Amino acid sequence: MANQNLDILFNPKNIALIGASANPSKWGYLILLNILKGNYRGLIHPINPKEKTILGIQCYPTINDIPGSVDVAMITTPAKVVPPLIDECGKKGVPFIIVVTSDFSETGHEGAKLEREVVARAKKYGIRIVGPNTMGIFSAKPTLHALMPPVMPLHGPVSMFSQSGNVGVQMLAWGFDEGVGFEKFVSSGNEGDLNCVDYVEYFGQDKDTKVILAYLEGIDPDIRFKASIKEVSKKKPIFVFKGGRTNVGGKAAASHSGSMAGESRIFKGALRQAGMLEVLTSQALMDCAKTFSHYPLPKGNRIGILTRGGGWGVITADSCEENDLVVPPLPDELIKKYDKILPKYWSRGNPVDMVAAIANDPFLECLEILANWDGIDAILALGAAERGFKFPHDPGVKEPKELVDTLHSILQFIESKKNDRSNTLEGIRSLVDSSGKPIIMVSIGTDASHKSYLEEYGIVSFPTPERAVRVLTQMCNYQKFLNSRE
Amino acid sequence: MKIIEQAIQRGQKTLSEYESKLLLSEYGIPVTAEKTVTKEDDAVKAAAKIGYPVVLKGSGADISHKTELDMISLDLKNESDVRQAFQKLTSNPKAKVKEVLVQQMVKGDRELVVGLNRDPQFGPCVMFGLGGIFTEILQDVTFRVAPLTRWDAMDAMEDIRGKKILDAFRGKPPVDREILADILIAVGKIGLDHDSVNEIDINPLKILNGNPIAVDALVVLTTDK
Repeated sequence: MANQNLDILFNPKNIALIGASANPSKWGYLILLNILKGNYRGLIHPINPKEKTILGIQCYPTINDIPGSVDVAMITTPAKVVPPLIDECGKKGVPFIIVVTSDFSETGHEGAKLEREVVARAKKYGIRIVGPNTMGIFSAKPTLHALMPPVMPLHGPVSMFSQSGNVGVQMLAWGFDEGVGFEKFVSSGNEGDLNCVDYVEYFGQDKDTKVILAYLEGIDPDIRFKASIKEVSKKKPIFVFKGGRTNVGGKAAASHSGSMAGESRIFKGALRQAGMLEVLTSQALMDCAKTFSHYPLPKGNRIGILTRGGGWGVITADSCEENDLVVPPLPDELIKKYDKILPKYWSRGNPVDMVAAIANDPFLECLEILANWDGIDAILALGAAERGFKFPHDPGVKEPKELVDTLHSILQFIESKKNDRSNTLEGIRSLVDSSGKPIIMVSIGTDASHKSYLEEYGIVSFPTPERAVRVLTQMCNYQKFLNSRE
Repeated sequence: MKIIEQAIQRGQKTLSEYESKLLLSEYGIPVTAEKTVTKEDDAVKAAAKIGYPVVLKGSGADISHKTELDMISLDLKNESDVRQAFQKLTSNPKAKVKEVLVQQMVKGDRELVVGLNRDPQFGPCVMFGLGGIFTEILQDVTFRVAPLTRWDAMDAMEDIRGKKILDAFRGKPPVDREILADILIAVGKIGLDHDSVNEIDINPLKILNGNPIAVDALVVLTTDK
């Protein structure tokens, strides 16, 4: 059943919620609430034989009582009644069922038996199952929030599947703080039927998805893993964050190859063969989602660094070198250009240190020279939006008068620079577009301004150079995969 | 394959070094020139044919940790060296040696490791990394699931920390990556072709003038099937 199209699952015209409840402490209530609060564009039909309405929505006693066809059924009932419900859905002709219910294979032998039973019955009717033990799905187009927790993510080009519901929905929530928007999400649960390869294949062909994120704990042997995921990797990046990275161990082996294998090393190799990009932290997963959904890829690994002050430039250059990125020396021709616009004590090299000037430094001009240089493929720009002046609006001192006046004029100066900053940020984004090179901004400190640079100007910005370099390294790795593919 | 079937019939858990290399050469993997002998005079004849210097090793399916058992005599330059070494090996108090392997001595300038093992999820996987004594100490190895494409093999070479070992180095030419890729692909193919091959260890795979050559090899068989 490879390449089954999951369009109906992610764009259903209507959903039946089997196990809908009027009790606010039940998932059958909370999921309904989330769907309603999320302004789902389709119709939601709560199924409950005892209630006439829940949350003001008409209930049906069984799925069979719903007039017309049903695209997706979501089940939150206890596990033991799931199999007969599959039959009811099958007779109704439902193509997809999301089984939220737990107590299946994750709890042991008996649960696994019941799960196989559920999947076997579904197969009989040609139904595809999400889960069981899933937290649900999200889809931006129909504004469908069929999720257990009340998460309303930003919309954007990132699609994710997660074998942990918790990790997944919290990434959606976290994306809100980072300005990272999602297109589709599925908590894949126990993957009794539909599995990670199905979701990656679907996201691969989904034109609204530009970046794929995956949280994986394990995969079943699947011959499609390497070949078909590699096809997706050629079209869009797939980032994998792997949980449970410890070695299986305990395997007595007579050779080095056996004793050093371990699940983790082999998994890493398999990921690379499929062109997937492994990240080692949840922060890196988020950073990659943000950057890849907004920026073009660098053609190579040569990096230009622009900085306003030496130290952070040195740290950035070190970080580049340590990650196999090249920081090439400036040619004479560029040095001459910079000589004309920078103070004579500028660094005269890459990193281009404009030296600490408070006002009116030619930041954009310097950046443009770097962006137009064909000796580099990407830029790390430090200090574009210097936030060093964290003056309170009240100077905080009353005397002497000369000091108070000076502090006031500094505040005025900062105020007057706001426009300049906005021009700079707009200029950076247009240089990204005109040069086709990613210009990643580094602005030290973790406040909400990074999100505003992204949302207001489309600029990717990180609070440390190390995080920017880590993402840039992934961009280069992916470009290398695209270049050298067979 | 005959070598494997016969070994299993004899109840061997592993192939001897000599048998292991026969299997590898069937798949085009370069191995040392070598011959097994049981008599001292035959050892001398074999050495002359292979060309000095040679190595003598205790041989047999039950001998797998030759260094620990003191069963290797290196850099034998002439007939009397070979005779002396043969006598020493066959009177080794730590193990009974009935058969001796006379082998081309490869000094080489670098040592790599190539291996195969079976993963319950992914099946046969090829290992590549730094060889010799460093294999265990540095654990600088990477795995690829068989079958390997040429790109997979080339990428594996980029995927170890000590990847510079493959470059030109102290006046020695770089490792021929095409031949190395052939070897990685071939080892994966052995795993796919033979369910009864459970693990392979080529360690060291030495580099001589840029060319890889399997100097020691061990094939572990699946005996419980």
